[in-house]
Amino acid sequence: MNRSTKTMSRTQLLAIGTFVIMAAFVLRLFYLQVIQYNYFAAMSDKEQSRQWKLPAVRGSIYAMNGDAPVQLAMNETRYTVWADPKVVEEPEKVIEVLKKVAGGTVRGNIAELLAKKETRYQIVATKVSYKQAEMIKKEKLYGIGFERTEQRVYPEGRLGSQILGFVNDDGNGQYGIEGALDSRLKGTDGLIKTVADVRDVPLTIGKENINIPAKNGDDIVLTIDRNIQHQAERVLQDNMKKIGAKSGSMLVMNPRNGKIFAMANLPSYDPANLATITDLSVLNNNIISRPYEPASVIKTLTMSTAVDKGVMTPDSKFNNTDFVKIYDRTITNASKGQTGVISMQHVLNWSLNTGTVEVAKWLGGGEINQAARDTMYSYFHDKFGLGKKTGIELVGEAEGTVVPPNTVEGNAVRYANMTFGQGLNVTPLQVASAFSSIVNGGTYYQPSIIEGTLDAAGKVNEASAKNGTQILKKSTSDTMRDMIHKARQSFFADGDRSGYMIGGKTGTAQTIENGKYVFEQTEGTYLGFGGEKGKAPNYVILVTYAAPKRAITGNDAIPSFTQMSNWLIDYFKLQPKGR
Amino acid sequence: MQTRRSTTFSTRRSGQMSRNYNSVSFVSSVKLGPVTHTVLVALMITVLGLIYLTQATKATSYDYAASKIDSQIAELTIQKNDLEVENARLMALDNISNSSVAASMTQPSSTQYVEQ
Repeated sequence: MNRSTKTMSRTQLLAIGTFVIMAAFVLRLFYLQVIQYNYFAAMSDKEQSRQWKLPAVRGSIYAMNGDAPVQLAMNETRYTVWADPKVVEEPEKVIEVLKKVAGGTVRGNIAELLAKKETRYQIVATKVSYKQAEMIKKEKLYGIGFERTEQRVYPEGRLGSQILGFVNDDGNGQYGIEGALDSRLKGTDGLIKTVADVRDVPLTIGKENINIPAKNGDDIVLTIDRNIQHQAERVLQDNMKKIGAKSGSMLVMNPRNGKIFAMANLPSYDPANLATITDLSVLNNNIISRPYEPASVIKTLTMSTAVDKGVMTPDSKFNNTDFVKIYDRTITNASKGQTGVISMQHVLNWSLNTGTVEVAKWLGGGEINQAARDTMYSYFHDKFGLGKKTGIELVGEAEGTVVPPNTVEGNAVRYANMTFGQGLNVTPLQVASAFSSIVNGGTYYQPSIIEGTLDAAGKVNEASAKNGTQILKKSTSDTMRDMIHKARQSFFADGDRSGYMIGGKTGTAQTIENGKYVFEQTEGTYLGFGGEKGKAPNYVILVTYAAPKRAITGNDAIPSFTQMSNWLIDYFKLQPKGR
Repeated sequence: MQTRRSTTFSTRRSGQMSRNYNSVSFVSSVKLGPVTHTVLVALMITVLGLIYLTQATKATSYDYAASKIDSQIAELTIQKNDLEVENARLMALDNISNSSVAASMTQPSSTQYVEQ
């Protein structure tokens, strides 16, 4: 072999060796990058891809403050402070700083928690405010971390608590608006799925990034006026003490459109402090969830039915004997002595049961027969909406009961009792809504508590207006408004402002114990309206008080109505006309 | 550099030349071999790779900037919400009615109405 042949051979060997090595690399890379592509791509995706939920912000709840919305329920950022006992170097300093800054939010056994050196995570303080968290962060405590949480806050405290409801620890709305409109308030969470670096910073590299923005919950604006609600609760509180009532409710609504101005129930609760509740019944909104026998306030509905059917006028006469027999039952009057031939206006002024039973007879042509009962049912149930849910946007509305005339229970005795508000179970909201239609010109409006939603610019987008239904002749409404005004004028108008059209009716409901009505425990209601003369009333107020083993009458509720009515005249700046 | 001058003749019909025009071409004596070509191609690929990397890194650097701004927005939102809650608490009716300003207010003795 010559020299050149040897040199070529080495080069060739080197080339072959290099080729083999390179081929090995190529084959290996081909195996890893082509054949094993899916496996490693999935592994890479698992390592590098991160997924974050973008929590939607729960919408706020607003009430009206005159013409401007004001927040009743909103969100606040709070922090949970945790410690890693293994790395905390100065536990004494940590305790000192936390107690100095965060005070009562620090766990009582923080020293014990920090002494657990074998653990890596101990919660040492909860519900720490933003300012407190910032002050703690400035101290640069080693081994202390923060977790952000959202908390529902109610800046007005107990105001309208049964309207608002509350949000539980799982973030779900319960009772009131929080419960009824939970899904609207919650919004929809968003999602980010992307490649991230070691510090979890999302990067735009990658082909399968997902970014679905969160849709925050609606900001709901209520028809409730904060000032009227506050005044209603104050009036209730003052008068409950005076008359010895244990519970009270006041509903103020606009009879011109069915919007609720105030819906107050006492006792109430602090929705941000649920742990202090001892009696769970305070969570209920009695105005919509507790049907009761409203008693004589229903006489206005009975007379409206008769006037509308053309069988009665305020001057229609009947002979009052203070009692009337319906089959084997005798119905008597609470106010006795108004015997003889008297007018229906007189019946309403003195709240005579025998008079409204007579009206029911007139509806049947002289007796409470099927025709009379059918007519009463069609007005009470079908037109006035008694015994039916009103559809108000709140959780827990009760239906109540109005017994139909074609049942055994729907006999003449029951319908005689119904003429003065016994033998039926209805909610205060149903009664006030029906009464509103009687005094507003004859139009029934479905009661509503939602004004609309607040947009980003702070403008209220009003909910679609609910059309009313004309259920009574306008002449019927005019007649009844005048009769109810006169009924108040006859005895209870001393405290009224002169120059306004104010009317109302009392109701004293006996309660049932062991299947029998008892007089020792009664519930008092006053239902009335007020406003400028010559126009539809500006407000309807229903007040009711009750106490166990105590006789509270409709007269006990009158001062609350008067107090509230006079306050509303000032608040609405209503102008007096004449005397 | 060494150049070689050459004169060529072509007919008018060729369309490339005109009368009194000389055609001169210079042929470089430097020749690039396959290794040089390979190196040049490698260099070009490297430069293109670097340009790509610069762009990709630039996009990532925007991600960090965006992330920082997001954090600032979140922080400022918390501060704003905190102030809104504080404001709402201070403006609560119970606070207002119990304030010294409210305590010093008096009921109007009479109200006059403008005739409409």
